[in-house]
Amino acid sequence: MDTPRNQVERLGRQDNPFDPEFPETDLDRIAALAPFKDMDPASFPKKQPLRMILQSDTRIRRFKRGEIIVRAGDYGSSAFMIVGGDVRVVLPPGLPDRVLGRREPAKRSVFRAVAQLWANHRNPEVRTPEELGGGGGADAESGSGVFLQDVPRLIGKNKTVTLGPGEFFGEIAALSRMPRTATILCDSDDAELLEIRWQGLRDILKHDPALRAHIDALYRKNTLSNALRSFPIFQHLDEEQLFQVAAQTQFGTYGEYDWSGDYKKLAKAGTNSVDKETVIAQEGDYPDGVIFIRSGFGRLSKRFGSGQRTLNYLGAGRWFGLREITHNWRDPGSAVPFQFSLRVIGYTHTLFVPTRVMEQVVLPGAPNALLPRPLTPDELDVDDDDPLKEQGGFAQRIGPELMEFLTGRRIFNGTSTMVIDLARCTRCDDCVRACAATHDNNPRFLRQGPVSSGIQVAQSCMHCVDPVCMIGCPTGAIHRDASAGDVVINQATCIGCTSCANNCPYDAIRMVEARDPGGDFVTDKESRPILKATKCDHCIDQYGGPACERACPHDALKRMDMTRLDTFATWLNR
Amino acid sequence: MMRTTIKRRLSGMVLLVAAVVALFWGHRQLVPVMRHLAYLTGWLLLAVCLFLTAYNARKKLPFLPLGNSRTWLQIHAYVGYFSLALFFAHTGWRWPSGAFEAVLASLYLAVAASGVAGLVWSRIVPRRLTARGCEALYERIPIIRRKLAEDAEALALASVATTRSTAVADFYKLHLAGFLGRPMNGWKHLAEVRSPLMRIEARIADFDRFLAPDQRKVLGELAVMVVQKDGLDYQRSLQLSLKLWLFVHIPLTYSLLILTVLHVVIVFAFSGGAGAN
Repeated sequence: MDTPRNQVERLGRQDNPFDPEFPETDLDRIAALAPFKDMDPASFPKKQPLRMILQSDTRIRRFKRGEIIVRAGDYGSSAFMIVGGDVRVVLPPGLPDRVLGRREPAKRSVFRAVAQLWANHRNPEVRTPEELGGGGGADAESGSGVFLQDVPRLIGKNKTVTLGPGEFFGEIAALSRMPRTATILCDSDDAELLEIRWQGLRDILKHDPALRAHIDALYRKNTLSNALRSFPIFQHLDEEQLFQVAAQTQFGTYGEYDWSGDYKKLAKAGTNSVDKETVIAQEGDYPDGVIFIRSGFGRLSKRFGSGQRTLNYLGAGRWFGLREITHNWRDPGSAVPFQFSLRVIGYTHTLFVPTRVMEQVVLPGAPNALLPRPLTPDELDVDDDDPLKEQGGFAQRIGPELMEFLTGRRIFNGTSTMVIDLARCTRCDDCVRACAATHDNNPRFLRQGPVSSGIQVAQSCMHCVDPVCMIGCPTGAIHRDASAGDVVINQATCIGCTSCANNCPYDAIRMVEARDPGGDFVTDKESRPILKATKCDHCIDQYGGPACERACPHDALKRMDMTRLDTFATWLNR
Repeated sequence: MMRTTIKRRLSGMVLLVAAVVALFWGHRQLVPVMRHLAYLTGWLLLAVCLFLTAYNARKKLPFLPLGNSRTWLQIHAYVGYFSLALFFAHTGWRWPSGAFEAVLASLYLAVAASGVAGLVWSRIVPRRLTARGCEALYERIPIIRRKLAEDAEALALASVATTRSTAVADFYKLHLAGFLGRPMNGWKHLAEVRSPLMRIEARIADFDRFLAPDQRKVLGELAVMVVQKDGLDYQRSLQLSLKLWLFVHIPLTYSLLILTVLHVVIVFAFSGGAGAN
């Protein structure tokens, strides 16, 4: 019997291998290499043996001398293991964008943009055969294919490190959903690399403690110095001093990597309060070190009445306790304790540099411009009824209720959160119509959501700093665009497993039943509908940025980077 | 520090006043030297009207980088005010004597008045909607209202068994079912009149004193639903008014444009070569 035209094969993770044509001979060769050959097959579940992970989640990549493998600043969802040849890591500050061949994400042609006036489908959620078929494979990172000529001249004064066979790189960016910290280029005539998408790396690390320990050691050896250098207070240190600091630095990991499940449960039960959060540093305690946040978020709070009032939230690249420690180092006679508390929100990865190291190595040579100003008697004697004054004014301008709302609902995660000022919004839905017009007549957000102090956070993808929606995706269909950093879904590799929609703490991803261009629902062979995940793509292929924001006539809707509270405060008080 | 919105509005007003003064000064200078000045002001007015209509076209093309709708609306409003000055310069501050021109002028003034009214209303209504609460998408209001009515009816019916009395159910049928079943008090909500809700609440309070504790509990739950339903009616009424406003302003605009084209044809048909100077 012929298959009806609207029936397709239901796809699974193994149906979307990283390399659909991964040769068995290569697979045998890779499996025979360290560290894979030393792994205990019994530690892997029967349903997902190591060989299956290697087959579905890895691929062989070959690079020529001077070719860029990964670029600093790009988002990548895979790690690399060097099989043959050498690669060179360009340490920060790194190469300029012009040299790296960085370019804007591809836009529609002007004709295709205008054609949306008449070419959009009349039926909702129509998918082309290509979007339904499951193309397999994945795009190479956007830096790939760019060659650097005259590498020694371009690298100039940048320091580099050479890595050889058996070494890993790119695992931090892949697993932490953070941008690549360094540019890496091929340093051999022909280098062979095994690229492992993060889902596979995650599964291997889960079942093999030896590789996990190896990756941790690599982090301390290769990445920690760079991580420390990314904080201004360490930038004046020489190599030896930085080595001293790195040797004494302690890692701190708090909360769950996949925090959205817990958050949803707590939010549903109405118990996601500040009291339930793990305290990293307590107000009033002796400042025993500076806490630098590498990923995730911490809540900065101050005792107020019998509770805690949120003053700010600190994300990656921020620190806690430096001001107190600098104050005490300058004036040991009037030592002060921590002025605030720092609590974990969701998942937080920190670097802890003890006070002794700060006082002996970091602070003595630090330029004055990098040192925080001493705490004034006024600041130390802040009235309990107005702790918001301490936060430079913006917390005061936002107000305590909204601050609690943003923190409690974890809105701080968004780099492009759709906030609506309800005192200006006429509910005209021009934003929704603009979104539909630019997405084949399918609006990609709902103009509804939680409200606090007249500000609504709409159910639209916030393009999070920490996109937990990506955690469970078995095929990597939901990923960060390498250039823009927006979180987007590849319809061709989405298998409709609903993992991202369930993981999203903000209900910003919706599962839809796909239709063919004729308007019929597409089903699998058991006549079950084919689902696809949909969400805001930030109008990545449209001109002029998000259509929703540009369509608002009353300046009520804004896509806001909530990691920048000062910008938000300015917008609120516009 | 002055807020950016206030600063922007002040700058806009200053520019508008300057443009209007320049227009009237220029008009006065040209009157003695240009015989058919009305042609110039007429074409200018038509160009301005076409520009004002272009805002609607901008809304239909969200995928092109044609600037923010916010900026368009601000320019639309200020150019709209300026067009009033231009209109009076064109008519020479006289009401047209011909029937066709009188209709055209009335239409123009109706478009301008509906525009100003819409702008003012769109500044007032969002604050009122937000202050009142019960936020709901307009399209979902009937669904929420139906669910509320069904829940209320189920509660009232269940009370017969739980309280072993028909008192609450009878009260519901007599005084609440009609209110919960359909949209009510649309005009009163627009005028911010709260007396209909207060009347029902007073009725509930009067009835409450005669009830046993278990009946009182059910009535309390029904009272909460009444307040929610009133909030939904409020949202519906005000949101509908904002939607309907555009159904006045836009058709009037297109009617004006059609009559303007006719006006141009008629003027040139009967001008006999005027306009050369």
